[in-house]
Amino acid sequence: MVEVWFLLLGLTVMLFAVLDGWNIGAGALHLIAARTRAERRDIVTALGPMWSWHEVWLIAFGGTFLLAFPGVMTAAFSGFYLALWMVLWSFIMRGISLEVGGHIDDALWQTWWDFVFAISSLVLAVLFGAALGNVIRGVPIDGSGKFSMSLFTHFGVRGRVGILDWYTLSVAVLTTVLLSAHGALYLRLKTTGPVHDRSERLARGLWMLALVLFAAVSAETWIVRPGLYSAMLARPAAWLAIAVAIAGAGAVATGLRGTAELRAFAGSCAVIVGLLGGAAAGIFPVMLHSTLAPEHSITAYGGAAARHGLAIALVWWPIAFGLAWIYFFLVMRNFAGKIPVGSDPPSRPHGLNAKVTKITSVPKKTF
Amino acid sequence: MDDPALWHRFQFAFTITYHYLFPQLTMGLVWFLVYWKWRAWRHGDERAAAASRFWARILGLTFAVGVVTGIPMEFQFGTNWGAFSKYAGGVIGQTLAMEGMFAFLFESAFIGALIYGEARLGPKRHFFAALGVAAGSWLSAYFILVTNAFMQHPVGYLVAADGSLAIGDIGAYLFNSWALVEFAHNQAAALVTGAFAVTAVGAFYSLRNAWRDQARLYLNHGTLAALAAALLVAFPTGDAQAKMVARHQEPALAAMEGRFESGPMAEITLIGQPNVKARRLDNPIKIPGMLSFLAYGTFHADVRGLDAFPQDQWPGNIELLYYAFHVMAGLGTMFIGLMALANLQRFRGRLEASRLLLWVLMLAFPFPFIANTAGWMTAELGRQPWLVYGLFRTQDGISDVVSSGDVLFTLIGMAGLYFVLGLLYLYMVGREIHHGPGPASVGAAHG
Repeated sequence: MVEVWFLLLGLTVMLFAVLDGWNIGAGALHLIAARTRAERRDIVTALGPMWSWHEVWLIAFGGTFLLAFPGVMTAAFSGFYLALWMVLWSFIMRGISLEVGGHIDDALWQTWWDFVFAISSLVLAVLFGAALGNVIRGVPIDGSGKFSMSLFTHFGVRGRVGILDWYTLSVAVLTTVLLSAHGALYLRLKTTGPVHDRSERLARGLWMLALVLFAAVSAETWIVRPGLYSAMLARPAAWLAIAVAIAGAGAVATGLRGTAELRAFAGSCAVIVGLLGGAAAGIFPVMLHSTLAPEHSITAYGGAAARHGLAIALVWWPIAFGLAWIYFFLVMRNFAGKIPVGSDPPSRPHGLNAKVTKITSVPKKTF
Repeated sequence: MDDPALWHRFQFAFTITYHYLFPQLTMGLVWFLVYWKWRAWRHGDERAAAASRFWARILGLTFAVGVVTGIPMEFQFGTNWGAFSKYAGGVIGQTLAMEGMFAFLFESAFIGALIYGEARLGPKRHFFAALGVAAGSWLSAYFILVTNAFMQHPVGYLVAADGSLAIGDIGAYLFNSWALVEFAHNQAAALVTGAFAVTAVGAFYSLRNAWRDQARLYLNHGTLAALAAALLVAFPTGDAQAKMVARHQEPALAAMEGRFESGPMAEITLIGQPNVKARRLDNPIKIPGMLSFLAYGTFHADVRGLDAFPQDQWPGNIELLYYAFHVMAGLGTMFIGLMALANLQRFRGRLEASRLLLWVLMLAFPFPFIANTAGWMTAELGRQPWLVYGLFRTQDGISDVVSSGDVLFTLIGMAGLYFVLGLLYLYMVGREIHHGPGPASVGAAHG
């Protein structure tokens, strides 16, 4: 039961990372992949009307986390207090920039919101990377079963660690590069014209960089959490995840060389799923590893909700999950395909420009 | 300042109050859209189609602010209320996860389609997109209200070996009688907010002599819905809610009415100032027997005052609770009066000629927001000192690893961010209202 819920919780994380990952990655590249105001609107259009649906998987993750592992969720969220609030602020700013940026056809207005969108996306990528780094490195849980972490302490990876140290920062850099590469492949798939060509070049460079960084971070992980690899070797699920990641990397490589844009993008999704899956399979059953003493670590078994509640939720959760995908496909059927250059962004009310011109032609006396 | 829960409580109260300004409008407005979309689809009603396009733009902005201000709410259960979430997560986690999995994924799939997809979807599927957003947002409210109802009146739980709560009977939990009443009361109140907003814009255009057709539509549908909803808020839902409080939260009822002494023929207080130190109500104007009747159905029923309960079970802020309740009830009564008058004038065909009444209707739109907020303050202050009524105290619920300095830091950050967000929202909505509903063909101009 606990294993199933660990898997389902991992699924929400993977879905969030893949789905919102391309929005975050595209956002981080927003000011680089697009140079003009019109090109930047193309990127926002390419993200489509479903970005909030992608983001909601984070909410689904939060709810599922509390449902299945209240002991872990409360320790983690209160322990990562400040970092989590920065994530929330970034989400708010990013959501607002996507919603209102296109509403007013004005250069200053849009420049500002494009900037906010890019910065908040970048901050989110860094923070999610740091979060992943913290889960792998561990957190300073003491005998009370709780921890409280500063944003930074001595930047070392042992003892009273902070959220940021040399290891979590390098995971953050890798994550940022990887999500940007993911976003670049999404933009390559969804756009045409200069944004498409620039995204393709960026994707090539970023994937090379990601490969180098991945090798470096893997070596660092060996030092920081020595038991991780041996645990992975002993688990078939980890082997599967690694196979998925390698296959994904292959698809990205061949897809980037030719014109198979969908294959490259699907490969990119597989890489993210594989890496997260591999890490999850490696750390299980420990969900929060203690850097102070291993016996203080919080495991999935120790932090799970009562069995009866987990059993009940196992009935409704998969139904909700299936329904969510049915709505997704119902809606996305209507928004498929490439975005032509300079088309109307979805996050602008349709015909606003037309409306503005019409308004000015309304005789004064009616208003 | 020596209360470690202080800033946690301030932060949650602030973020939830601010957040709920937006969903109440969304949940009220969305049924107007559903109705107008239905008219547009089934009857080819161009006026309704234009109205739905205009209000979809306002709904979209409101929904967006509702979404982004809602994200922190769920996370605060873990960040700020860790001890509570660890204690009750086995129960409330069910509905918080259900909200995300069933409701949010549902409404967020359709909101984009509703706001930007008219040309691609056509009238039929666009109607269903509106219905999807309506159903999703109301479903979301239900799950949250079940969660709140558990805190007000815990049912369906078991106590595990380690003292924490676990779900016992999921049916009893999901269909908590408190939740059903609270949902009916709260959703009717959200309809009041939506209907007052529609009415106010209608009155605004009518007074400016602009968009006459649209103004008439908003006034007609707005005032009718507002009267119906305002009546529903009072009876049967408000009445049932009060009886629920009388039955399960007696100290809260006593504090809401500023009743310090027990006795039969309990009066209802129309106005007066509670003096907690002296344990009396100053300058009261009361109706004898009315509270007994409203709470228990007979004028002679005994209603216990605060003196009947030990002081550690009294709500922590009796004065604020008293005023919150009276503001809510007072405004609710005025809404019925105002909208009865507006509907009377409408039936006589005089509404658009009654400029004074139009002025009042235009300026009335903030008051349902105030009444809804006051209503929630009544519910949440009345629940004190308990976080889960009778089981778990508020002061024990916080994340004790988070320092007051950290909480104040994020509270100040939220206050600044939400201030800017509020300005932005008002500017964007004001701009839409100023531009007006536009000609009917506009919405289909782009694809």
